[in-house]
Amino acid sequence: MNRIVERIRNSEFLTFSEVLRLKVAIVTLFQTIFILLTIPISSINQFTVDIDVFIPLALALLIVLTILFTIVNFNRFAMHTSIITIIILTLYYTSTTNHFYGYIMFFVTLTVVIFYQDIVTYLLYGGATAGYGIWYIIDKGGSIIGTNSINADVSMQTYIIILAGFYVVFLIQFLISDNIYEKMNNEWVRMNKILGRYQDFSQRHLMEMLEEHDETPLYRDNKFQQTIGELCIFINEFFEEDAAKITEVVEYYFFLHGQEIEEIVGNKNASVTARRYALQLEKYLLDRRSELTSILFDFATLFKPSDAYEENRYNYNLDELLHDRIDKLLSLAILYRYLKTEVTQFDKWGNIKDTLTHEQITELFLSKEFREFISYEQVNFYLDNEDLFREHL
Amino acid sequence: MRQINEQYKYKQLEIYKESLELRHIKTKTLVVNVLNVVFAVVVAFFLFRLDVESRTIFGVSFMFLMLLLINVGLYALADDLYNNLKLAMYVTTIGEYIIATTLIILFQTPSIFTSLFLAYAITSIYQENKVMLISNFSLFISGFLLALSFDQIFSIPGNTAIQNMFIIIFLLLFVMLLTLSSYILIKRKSFFYNHLAQIKESEVRNMDLLMEIEHIRTKQKLNSESYYKALERFSSELSKKIGIENVFARKIQLLRDLKKTNIGDLLEKYPEYTIEQINEIKNMELAVNTKMRNIGIKASKTKDIEVSRKEIFSESQFKSFKHTTDDTYVKIIAFVVFYVMLKTDKPYLKEMDEDQIKDMLQYSEYFYLIDRDVIDVYLNNNEVFDTVVSDLLKEEWNYEPHR
Repeated sequence: MNRIVERIRNSEFLTFSEVLRLKVAIVTLFQTIFILLTIPISSINQFTVDIDVFIPLALALLIVLTILFTIVNFNRFAMHTSIITIIILTLYYTSTTNHFYGYIMFFVTLTVVIFYQDIVTYLLYGGATAGYGIWYIIDKGGSIIGTNSINADVSMQTYIIILAGFYVVFLIQFLISDNIYEKMNNEWVRMNKILGRYQDFSQRHLMEMLEEHDETPLYRDNKFQQTIGELCIFINEFFEEDAAKITEVVEYYFFLHGQEIEEIVGNKNASVTARRYALQLEKYLLDRRSELTSILFDFATLFKPSDAYEENRYNYNLDELLHDRIDKLLSLAILYRYLKTEVTQFDKWGNIKDTLTHEQITELFLSKEFREFISYEQVNFYLDNEDLFREHL
Repeated sequence: MRQINEQYKYKQLEIYKESLELRHIKTKTLVVNVLNVVFAVVVAFFLFRLDVESRTIFGVSFMFLMLLLINVGLYALADDLYNNLKLAMYVTTIGEYIIATTLIILFQTPSIFTSLFLAYAITSIYQENKVMLISNFSLFISGFLLALSFDQIFSIPGNTAIQNMFIIIFLLLFVMLLTLSSYILIKRKSFFYNHLAQIKESEVRNMDLLMEIEHIRTKQKLNSESYYKALERFSSELSKKIGIENVFARKIQLLRDLKKTNIGDLLEKYPEYTIEQINEIKNMELAVNTKMRNIGIKASKTKDIEVSRKEIFSESQFKSFKHTTDDTYVKIIAFVVFYVMLKTDKPYLKEMDEDQIKDMLQYSEYFYLIDRDVIDVYLNNNEVFDTVVSDLLKEEWNYEPHR
């Protein structure tokens, strides 16, 4: 339970699938309570005994199915079964008249669907629930009109408008958040790729440094390998007694350094296990820019001194950073010279040796993505004076 | 309960997240106000249909109008818009519940009672922590106080006391579910803001790190003087070509002076520039400032970056040591290699001592990159890890820590 509470508190750090699992767990917990409530409520309902027994049992089975899906990591299926369960529960509670809590169940169901934050799911299940809710009011709404009601029609319409309003307002909320988060995530993914390129270069510098000094890489060192092996066996002991298998995987991990993973994965003669582990371990190799080396670089940046935040810290657009025309021209010239003279590219052997040519820079300046750095006006100036840029910078 | 230690976060994040959020708060404020106007019209329509006294209609409409005016007023105050809009959110949230409660007390029917849910739905558009607190608390308190003090609200022909009790239980469960769900949804919103802010800062720092590693390898730094000389040649030819006096030379000299001269002397030497202009020109200075260098690095690496739709919310984009598709052995190896790398001296990061590593792994976001079972083994047995590294990796290498 502590673990669930901690996961809820720190849910902003969890991955998408972990959050989905957490949501399913919470929904399942609430569903269990609602199913348990069917037992005392059955005394109020006018169902036959078999329905009073059969429906809660069927719902309990659906709960078990949801839990099974989460155990085997089929979280999307678990999400669907949990929504179906709550819809059936709502149908059960609204099958008899005169129960205001049946009407509340429509809001509960919509809240569950909203909780999963999936627009298609909301349109389908949420739409069906809201539609059924409206039909329920039209059909049986008369039985839940309050004794204080001045006008029964107005009361019915109020029920319908509030339920439909609830659905529409959350639909609007979905559309707004979907739009915002999609844009933010799009930018994040793009930046993640650019970050990968910086780290490709950082990693390559480190590898070239080793070659230039004729040093053995750490992952080829026996003591390093032995330390990794011992620690892996130590952790593994908490999960299983046999150390042979993990020792083999650790050896295989070091073997993979210097190998072309694509070749191993594509090799039909290699065993399925070897190919599977090659694919999984590729992310953590030390001889290339991998997820592990990227995390190490990111980790290192936490310890480096850095300037305080100012408004333009993440702005790279010369047109926005500078307002004077002369400054804009000079900065464009500096950028051109940087690209033309500084070594910023890999050569054909993958070493950091190349600069960009004038033609490549022109192509970059004209490209759509370069509007992040320079304006059309600056590009036009560049095109008008291309010869001066080429000769003097 | 574990808490993230602030020192293990980039300190620049919070201010940037605020500016990111401000863009979206504006849209949300607008949408909430439009919805309020729509509902004000609907409420007024029903009040007319019920032939309610005009004093009541005026009172309810006045409340909606006040909410709108407060929002417009706070939106119009340009100074500190972020906090103004936050205040507008809180006022609107409380206002929604006051209006809903007023309507419930006026009519005391079960149908109007559900207007509390609608108030909740409207305020949920903000997706903000304090709004969520206010909204959940208001829903809970107003719902239950009304249910207890005005039990005739739920009076339905043929209803029993037990059924009324079930209504309260259902409401309680519903509010709890809403609270939990909104809490997690707001946390997820932070996830997106956090990630974007973090990667922006990470980009700047990774560029610095790249330059640091390049410098370690090549022992070379950007030659600012060669740039200024090239700029002089270029600007002189440009001036000739367009037939004007060389207006660039003095600015290039200013760029050189920016390296060594303090701002007071600069203002004296270049009286034609204000302090703001000089600060702006600093962006182009190459010997001390890194802005132009960073623009150059970024510009040289952004070619052919494409993002496909399926990548946008794909889990594979997130780096971690606990991918769901990985076997437990792989998760163990990934963590162990990471840990041992932290204990090893690298050109770009000195080795870290055990206490520092444990503290960081426990109280930073890196905790969440590691499989929970694996990190628990480490945190409970870190002395063993330290001993294994000292015995196997360091002692036999005649290990001498770099300090």
